[in-house]
Amino acid sequence: MKKNKLSRAGLQGSLVGVLAALLCILIGLLCGYLVLLAINPAHAWSDGFVRILKGGFYDAPYGVGKMLANAAPLVMTGLSVAFAFKTGLFNIGAAGQYTLGAFGALYCAIVLHLPWFVCLLAATVMGGIWGAIPGVFKAYLNINEVITSIMFNWIGLFLVNEIVYGNGSGVMYDSRNTRTWNLRKTAGCEGSVIPDFGLNDLFQTNSTTIAIFLAIVVAIVIWVVLEKTTFGYELKAVGLNKNAARYAGINEKKNIILSMVIAGALAGFGAGLYYLSGVSEWNPLNSTSLPAMGFNGISVALLASSNPIGTVFSAIFISHITVGGSFLSTKYYPTEIADLISGIIIYLCAFSMLFRGKIRGLLFAGKRADKANANAETAPAAVKKEGK
Amino acid sequence: MLLLIKYTLLYGIVLMLVALGGMFSEHSGIINIALEGIMVIGGVAGVLALTMLPADAPAIVVVLVSILASAAAGMIYSLLLAFASINLKADQTIGGTALNLLATAIAVVLAKYFSESGSAKLNYSNKPFLFSIGGLELSVFVPLGLVLLIVSYVVLYKTRFGLRLRSCGEHPQAADSVGINVYRMRYAGVLLSGALGAVGGMAYIVPPVQTWNFEVGVAGAGFLALAVMIFGQWKPFHIFGAAMFFAVFKSLANIADSTFLASFGWSSNIYNMMPFIASMIILAFTSKNSMAPKAEGIPYDKGSR
Amino acid sequence: MGTADISKVTKEELSRMMVGRDVQLQVEKEPAKPGEVVLDVQGVTMHNAAHKKDSVKNVSFQVHAGEIVCLAGIEGNGQTEFVYGLTGLEKLSAGRLTLCGQDITSASIRQRSKDGMSHIPEDRHKHGLVLDYTLEENMVLQRYWQPEFQNHGFIRKDKVREYSDRLIEQYDVRSGQGSLTIARSMSGGNQQKAIIAREIDRDPKLLVAVQPTRGLDVGAIEYIHRQIVAQRDAGKAVLLVSLELDEVMNLSDRILVMYEGEIVGEFDPKKTTVQELGLYMAGARRQGKGE
Repeated sequence: MKKNKLSRAGLQGSLVGVLAALLCILIGLLCGYLVLLAINPAHAWSDGFVRILKGGFYDAPYGVGKMLANAAPLVMTGLSVAFAFKTGLFNIGAAGQYTLGAFGALYCAIVLHLPWFVCLLAATVMGGIWGAIPGVFKAYLNINEVITSIMFNWIGLFLVNEIVYGNGSGVMYDSRNTRTWNLRKTAGCEGSVIPDFGLNDLFQTNSTTIAIFLAIVVAIVIWVVLEKTTFGYELKAVGLNKNAARYAGINEKKNIILSMVIAGALAGFGAGLYYLSGVSEWNPLNSTSLPAMGFNGISVALLASSNPIGTVFSAIFISHITVGGSFLSTKYYPTEIADLISGIIIYLCAFSMLFRGKIRGLLFAGKRADKANANAETAPAAVKKEGK
Repeated sequence: MLLLIKYTLLYGIVLMLVALGGMFSEHSGIINIALEGIMVIGGVAGVLALTMLPADAPAIVVVLVSILASAAAGMIYSLLLAFASINLKADQTIGGTALNLLATAIAVVLAKYFSESGSAKLNYSNKPFLFSIGGLELSVFVPLGLVLLIVSYVVLYKTRFGLRLRSCGEHPQAADSVGINVYRMRYAGVLLSGALGAVGGMAYIVPPVQTWNFEVGVAGAGFLALAVMIFGQWKPFHIFGAAMFFAVFKSLANIADSTFLASFGWSSNIYNMMPFIASMIILAFTSKNSMAPKAEGIPYDKGSR
Repeated sequence: MGTADISKVTKEELSRMMVGRDVQLQVEKEPAKPGEVVLDVQGVTMHNAAHKKDSVKNVSFQVHAGEIVCLAGIEGNGQTEFVYGLTGLEKLSAGRLTLCGQDITSASIRQRSKDGMSHIPEDRHKHGLVLDYTLEENMVLQRYWQPEFQNHGFIRKDKVREYSDRLIEQYDVRSGQGSLTIARSMSGGNQQKAIIAREIDRDPKLLVAVQPTRGLDVGAIEYIHRQIVAQRDAGKAVLLVSLELDEVMNLSDRILVMYEGEIVGEFDPKKTTVQELGLYMAGARRQGKGE
């Protein structure tokens, strides 16, 4: 009987989390609709709002395939940020780790012609290395990982661009398209493309591979690591209370570095999924903006309240409305409306705690006497500052 | 050499303005990681004001109106951060990051809405902002920045307001106990950072070029300004020095082709990397004795006094 | 409930009114029967980088099995730092620590714990608990890695639950939802009881208890004092660090007074007075330097 009662409490917590996320989404969409109305009231409903809501389904099955292809790397960058959150770190560096991961994958594919799973591994390793740097700075110099990650995002971007571009003569650089070589059209690179097992035919796309399934498997593995293992127990303890973890004999420096390495590796893996599926190629001339995938990972993680399984759903949602935004007719609306909506949603997520309290109050008021649980809800991120 | 000084001053003033903004916010106890986004908003508001003013308006009016429009937009946008982190006690880093993401989206949507071409590029004239002294072409933001630097110093260290502001960042409980309204002071700090950050964003975009693509945002300048602030130990004149130091690196990229530096054959990527690498090295050495306000990043709750 | 005139009421009466039953402020205990040396501290010195001075200066003493040694002193005289050094949270700059004949001077925190040291920390929120973990997760904070609770790196949740339920029952830890209560939502007294249950149940050879009753109500204090005495009677060595002179006088078998990082005197609680201890704690007197 006791067990029954306990699992119900857990279920209730997840329910409140999901409802809070839905509320954020709802308000975000509403704001988006208002913006559409403001820009062009005549077309706001059917040509604007409905297309965003329909997402990939507006142009099925092609749109759905595109949505899935974009969701796979998004799950990974979302996991990267979520994993770091769980261990008390804010990995704003997913974009840089993603950049390095893209380089690792493309180098192994274009230059070394290695099979896809080796390329994927290389992406993971490169991402992990780039994640380790802020970890080391945090563990040994006590410099806030946020600031380090941001710096290394840019350093990574310039570094990768420099190597890929090589003053226009880099081996990976296709000067006609001003991008890296297209994997599917370049001799010797076919083996580096992630297999699709007929998904491309199904969705009538050319970049829908098994990437999304790989991402889901990784999400489950991360969930198991965090919830079921002593390693996850240690990581979370360090994240929630560094001093208590140290008191318990946990090596907090090692754990901080390890969790940044894993977070980086996840982002790198995501880049591998994206570029080895051939969704697009790397453009080394773009040196003013970091890959949006990295920052969207933050949205995904926040929307999922850092739950690894939740990131799968929130990544699919974000990908859904982004693809929906891309179907907007540019005659009436800028496609960035979708970014605007997800931006609003994350802003709301930043104080979703408040929503949770309210929802809990509405749903469970009176039913349960023990108020203890109400303030036991913990923030998704225990990001604390410790002197930069 | 003159060119190096010009670029250093132009870029250094940008970093300094934004870092001063960050300084006010952090002295009040709020980590303002949204500076990057505030710069973008300030930039887009200023540029839009520029494009909307009649072409024959006197230069002084153009300059004043657009800068004020930029500052006002920055303050309004920073209210979002203040509201989330002061009233709702949200995590300041997450709230700030959300505002950064949102800012680019807002700027692009606005730019596309107002531009004739339907792209996110806006054209404007930067003539009213430029003047030259003895062959050194400068923007009005240089003297404006220097004035604001001195004003910032005076406000922070020589006025009652500054003392109260700093007390909220060091020990809000104590500040509250002597009757200082912590919430109001923190709002003031964030709003000041919104104004300074926005003007900095405009100073970043307007003087060097006559057209700006807002899809680019401000390319990490806001984050660099945060590093400048940390390196400057949260003190106005230190921040000025730090900003100039970073700006020299950035400027090298601009003059590399025309000077002896060309013989190294380094690409712009390498120069672009320099300020970031330099800031990491400096942070590594200065992190041990941080002068950060003690209570920054911690939401203040009246109940927990 | 009731009201009482301050000038007339005694501590005992006041406590009874607060708790609702007779409270034993005076801990009843048998005379100590010290056994072999468990902890041997030799010339421990620690440097405080922030204040640029030595916070602990050449401290030497021993704790035997079956005795409670109390480190008394006014707050900020090096006790906290000494405990950090003893438990491995900070490094010593000089000296030697021996636990049951084993040199633990540079052993890791985990190693010290394996060698039989338990630590009830001074700040239960900073060190003692992961406040956002559940009670059961906190109960195994020091032993989650032991084979009993994990299998190839996977936590055996059923065993953790069993263990936690047993400790809750045995040590009377009260909480809203038993093992699944989030530690943050528990009362201070029950948080402290949980820590004490965890540390005592590990069956240590040496129990280091730092201000174990700070900020607690009389009922909880009484309970904790009994537990500490029971540990001593079971042959454990206990090092108690306390600022409360009453607690020092009541519990300890031997008192060491610390002043500005040094031990300035050793006393038998039966042969000294609170007044005498106070003089030493304030630095007005010291032994061994020709008073």
